[in-house]
Amino acid sequence: MSIEFSKYYRLALAACSPLACAQWALAEEFSLMIGSPVAAQNFQAKSAQFVFRTKGCGKLAKLQVSGNAEGVVNGIRKSIRLSRIAAMPVAGVYALHREWPAEGIWVVNLTGRCDAATASALVPIGPNGFLRESSKFFPRSATEAEIEASLKSLATGTNK
Amino acid sequence: MKMFDRHLSRHLAAYVDGELPPDRARKAEGHLSQCARCRAELEQVRLGMTIVERLPLTEAPESVWNSIQGTLSTHEPRRPFPIHIWRFAGGAAVALILVAAGLYWYSARQAETRWEVVSLNGSPKVASRPIHGVGHIAVGEWIETSGSSRARIKVGEIGSVDVEPNTRLRLVTARPGEHRLALRSGEITASIAAPPRLFFVETPAGTAVDLGCQYKLHCDATGHGLLRVTAGWVSIEWSGREALVPAGASCRTRPRIGPGTPYFDDAPARLVGALETFDFADGSSALGIILAASRARDTLTLWHLLSRVGAAERPRVYDRMVEFSAPPSGVSRDQVLRLDAQTLGRWREELAWTW
Amino acid sequence: MVSLSDREISAEIIDSCRQGDRDAFRALYDAYKDKVYSISLYFFHGDAMAAGDATQQVFLKLITGIRQFRGDAGFSTWLYRLVVNTCLDGARQYKSHAVIVDRSVLEAVVRGGSQEEELARMQIASSVQSAVSSLPPKFRLAILLRYFEDLSYEEMAKILNCSMGTVASRLSRGHRILAEKLAPLKGWLSTRHE
Repeated sequence: MSIEFSKYYRLALAACSPLACAQWALAEEFSLMIGSPVAAQNFQAKSAQFVFRTKGCGKLAKLQVSGNAEGVVNGIRKSIRLSRIAAMPVAGVYALHREWPAEGIWVVNLTGRCDAATASALVPIGPNGFLRESSKFFPRSATEAEIEASLKSLATGTNK
Repeated sequence: MKMFDRHLSRHLAAYVDGELPPDRARKAEGHLSQCARCRAELEQVRLGMTIVERLPLTEAPESVWNSIQGTLSTHEPRRPFPIHIWRFAGGAAVALILVAAGLYWYSARQAETRWEVVSLNGSPKVASRPIHGVGHIAVGEWIETSGSSRARIKVGEIGSVDVEPNTRLRLVTARPGEHRLALRSGEITASIAAPPRLFFVETPAGTAVDLGCQYKLHCDATGHGLLRVTAGWVSIEWSGREALVPAGASCRTRPRIGPGTPYFDDAPARLVGALETFDFADGSSALGIILAASRARDTLTLWHLLSRVGAAERPRVYDRMVEFSAPPSGVSRDQVLRLDAQTLGRWREELAWTW
Repeated sequence: MVSLSDREISAEIIDSCRQGDRDAFRALYDAYKDKVYSISLYFFHGDAMAAGDATQQVFLKLITGIRQFRGDAGFSTWLYRLVVNTCLDGARQYKSHAVIVDRSVLEAVVRGGSQEEELARMQIASSVQSAVSSLPPKFRLAILLRYFEDLSYEEMAKILNCSMGTVASRLSRGHRILAEKLAPLKGWLSTRHE
């Protein structure tokens, strides 16, 4: 009896597991998404370098975003804290304006925090604006190594 | 009396606010004494009114006045003499008031209807008069540049328009709430920093409506036009036909047809060529080429095509779009194929994140 | 600087505005700016930028068109007609996501203790704003005009270009919708009068 019960219990557990996994999967992971200024649907974003939005943040009141422009100018490594990240009327959508000089190569390191979750994006900036295809997204803060790798790719032209 | 034999639903607010005539108010009271439903609804209306009282009066930020002042300053006439000083100064003063008022009216009219024009190269002409350095263009006047001249028009306080060589452009309206030009032929480069729908450029084949942008607008002698947007986005409209053109995209226009279908400047040449055929010639065979050549980013073009193809072809466009981008929740195939406006808007909002 | 109370818009002030007297225009602006801004703010779902744009447009249209305005009779009717038209025009351009009033949040708030009073007020104000935002535009405008400017139904009918019966109907239905959405507030509101 106990063996049969055990068998049925295992079967039941096996049947429930996918459901349990599905439950976990249904909750959207906190992440960032970038787009051209038109995506903000707001004229305040007209002159932005790009816009970005958060996804999967159930507590927008606890959402915090920040960014740094990481660059190399004449061989010297630079880092500029971005202060012109403008919240758009649509919750969770932001416009990022240029605060770094024209010379040198630059990658924008964006970080979003929603309660306990963190997400980040490394967005290389090309001569004609942000490089969407070369951008990288992480479910955590970007590491120094990842930032340096992005700058190196931009410098060597291996970014598109 | 038939009033209030039925329920009072539509009249309850008027009853609470004392807006019913006395006889109707008495009848309403009589009805309420006998109708539980209306009494319940009355309580709801009263609760709703109490709820609204929680809305605080919010002070308008000073930036609003600053913006108004900034816009008015462009058209500000010389400040009038303070009227109250002259009131007690006798008959001679009355004549002076009239003269001052006349001067004021004249300068106000001039300030309202003229924009500054700067010669960037050569001697552009305004109303057939050559401009050397700085001049002005008044409402109704034309500015013309030759092959070697260029000019910059200061558009109120909201931006500027560079008039390229071989261009003919007219100032239609110059008001704080509406800045309007008409491009007959040639090319302009507009750079506007203002809330949307304050700046317009008419062409023979469509009106470009600024939504916060920088763009080039070209129009040849036959009225064929090309809009190329470099920042922000522009809506181009003609006779109910509209195209939304974001930065990095262009849109052709033709007289009697209006705006074509917008496309990104880096779209495959095959797609751009087929689009021109589709928009302005016999497009039946071109759609297949457009769909085959389209990339993920070309959902800008495909989205516009949804409402420009016939119902029989629309599923093909939809199916191609979903290969690139799944519709967001709340957007169904059926709604899209029916061209439900809200659905299409919702999908465009989502697609814009990939443009 | 001329200062005005709510209803002291005289023919002289309007005439001065017509003649370009900036001080008179500023006085007119100061008399109405907060109400125009507040109506716009709650009409545009609490969007301060949209409200600022709308307020700016209203007053620019006012100063542009004041030469055509004859006398001070019905000035507020004329002004608020500008507000209504500007808001309705803006609503056609404005895109926002659906506004949802979370009743469970409200229920939790009204159960909260006195030490959370200030937070409760803020959350309730936010819920009220959301509920007003969720009303159909014409209901929203009727309620905001009535509440912020205390206009008569006759004046509102002229402003909204409808009959007084329609004004009454929109107000009745609009208030009832708010009451349904914010029913948990009933007990809380009945014990608090400011």
